[in-house]
Amino acid sequence: MKVAVIGYAVSNLEWDAEKTREETVFEVAKSALENAGVSREDVGTVISASTDFLDGRTISNCMLIGGSGAYLKDESKAEEDGMYAALYAAQRLMAGVHDIALAVSHTHSWIFNPHQVSQYMLEPWFDRQNDLINGITLAALQARMYMEKHGVDELDLAEVCVKNLRNAAKVPYALRKLHDITVEEILESEMFSDPLTELMIAPPCDGAAAVVLASENVAEEICENPVWIKGIGNSCDNYLRDRDLAKLNSLEIAARKAYRMAGIEEPFREIDVAEITERFAHQELMAYEALSFCREGKGRVLIEEEMTEVYGDMPVNPSGGALAGDPICATGMIRLIEAAKQIRGEAENQVDGCRTALAHAQWGLCAQKNLVFILGDEP
Amino acid sequence: MGVVRYEGLPFVARFRWNTGKIMEKFYGGFAERQILAAKCENCGYTVVPPRVICPKCSSKMNENNLVKLDGRGVVLSYTVVRKKLDGKGGFVTLDKPEVIAAVKLNGADSMIFAKIGDVDVEDIKSGMEVVPVWAEKPEGRLSDLLYFRPG
Repeated sequence: MKVAVIGYAVSNLEWDAEKTREETVFEVAKSALENAGVSREDVGTVISASTDFLDGRTISNCMLIGGSGAYLKDESKAEEDGMYAALYAAQRLMAGVHDIALAVSHTHSWIFNPHQVSQYMLEPWFDRQNDLINGITLAALQARMYMEKHGVDELDLAEVCVKNLRNAAKVPYALRKLHDITVEEILESEMFSDPLTELMIAPPCDGAAAVVLASENVAEEICENPVWIKGIGNSCDNYLRDRDLAKLNSLEIAARKAYRMAGIEEPFREIDVAEITERFAHQELMAYEALSFCREGKGRVLIEEEMTEVYGDMPVNPSGGALAGDPICATGMIRLIEAAKQIRGEAENQVDGCRTALAHAQWGLCAQKNLVFILGDEP
Repeated sequence: MGVVRYEGLPFVARFRWNTGKIMEKFYGGFAERQILAAKCENCGYTVVPPRVICPKCSSKMNENNLVKLDGRGVVLSYTVVRKKLDGKGGFVTLDKPEVIAAVKLNGADSMIFAKIGDVDVEDIKSGMEVVPVWAEKPEGRLSDLLYFRPG
């Protein structure tokens, strides 16, 4: 059973949103259904993605049932990123249980600093007792380990930020839109934990996203230009004390699975655009390598040669990526939506002749867990 | 903004954790200024702090798998922390930056994250050898291990 994306919506990404979480979810769910040309009655299953500990409440989906139109329907939740909700929804369709699924995701970061909350991802007896260890300082350790291994410098990291934040200037919903940003300004922004400065760290913010998926039974009937899910790969690495932080092994495995399913043999040549979740600047370079866009250690060459610019041979994050705004659970789902927009020809920074796109979501400290989708314009 | 914000919950949750037998031994070792690891009999992977399931091959381990490390280690990576979380969701700028490092202890296959002291931040390098600095009167508690220093 093949599955397609037939509709989507992204909320404005902001800080200290006035709308409640329920209102934001209602708006994206309604817009996505309208975008797909279906009604609530047509939807078989609704899968949400939100996280109890970021939401400050247990069973964080229970108050979203109304907003997402899930009441009296088959409903479930994927914790973590919204792309996992899309994966869950796609599996429900592939199983032949339903024909149309709605997947929604949201985080409102103003509720409580997500970096403080993510300390609860640490093993409690040793790591969590060290008040200097958190998602940012660990990412800084990962950055230096990767950079020293492969001769990457701070300028390369800053170039990633410049590319993404300039791309975001054209994206209406983005949080950090910095059309004229320079490498110097990235490097001179406030130092958090060296080598990571403020602008190299994805800014947690408030936002939501929704996608409508349809099975091959109905997709082409309902939608003029469905975007087909051609490949999926998912992989989770060890706890961070037991893995090589200088390499995104689980992303490499996830990508390999997705490529095999989609029949992709030469990713650099066959993929037209990639939308990835780079929570920190160095992770984008590491992802180039894990996604086999280049050989290990050569990620910096792609950014130095401008190959991942919108006009380059392998555009990455024309939407601005996570560095332009990180509504945590919605961030990966937005990458999926931006990848689908590229195939439909609807993206703000449109890549010419885009037929195959990659979307990536991550979760956990130092990108422990990774999910890759390959999308295409044909089933 | 004219929006009413509800501040906090009417209780503070300070979670307590059962450390389990193997971690009790690990802390107990601190009283003797000793760092214990668990060595898997099946695959040989040595993990510190010790665990009851091998992270590599999932074999069961217990107190009999404990081995003594000499405490010395090598810095794999480090970061100079300028902003730290205050435990209440705020970032505070440190007047005096602190350093944490990923350290591979001699004889261990996993790494630990530890504070580094007694050194100028400019002098810290990956590959540097470090040794633990213990409290004057160690009592078998986590707080006995103060930090690591070059040595």
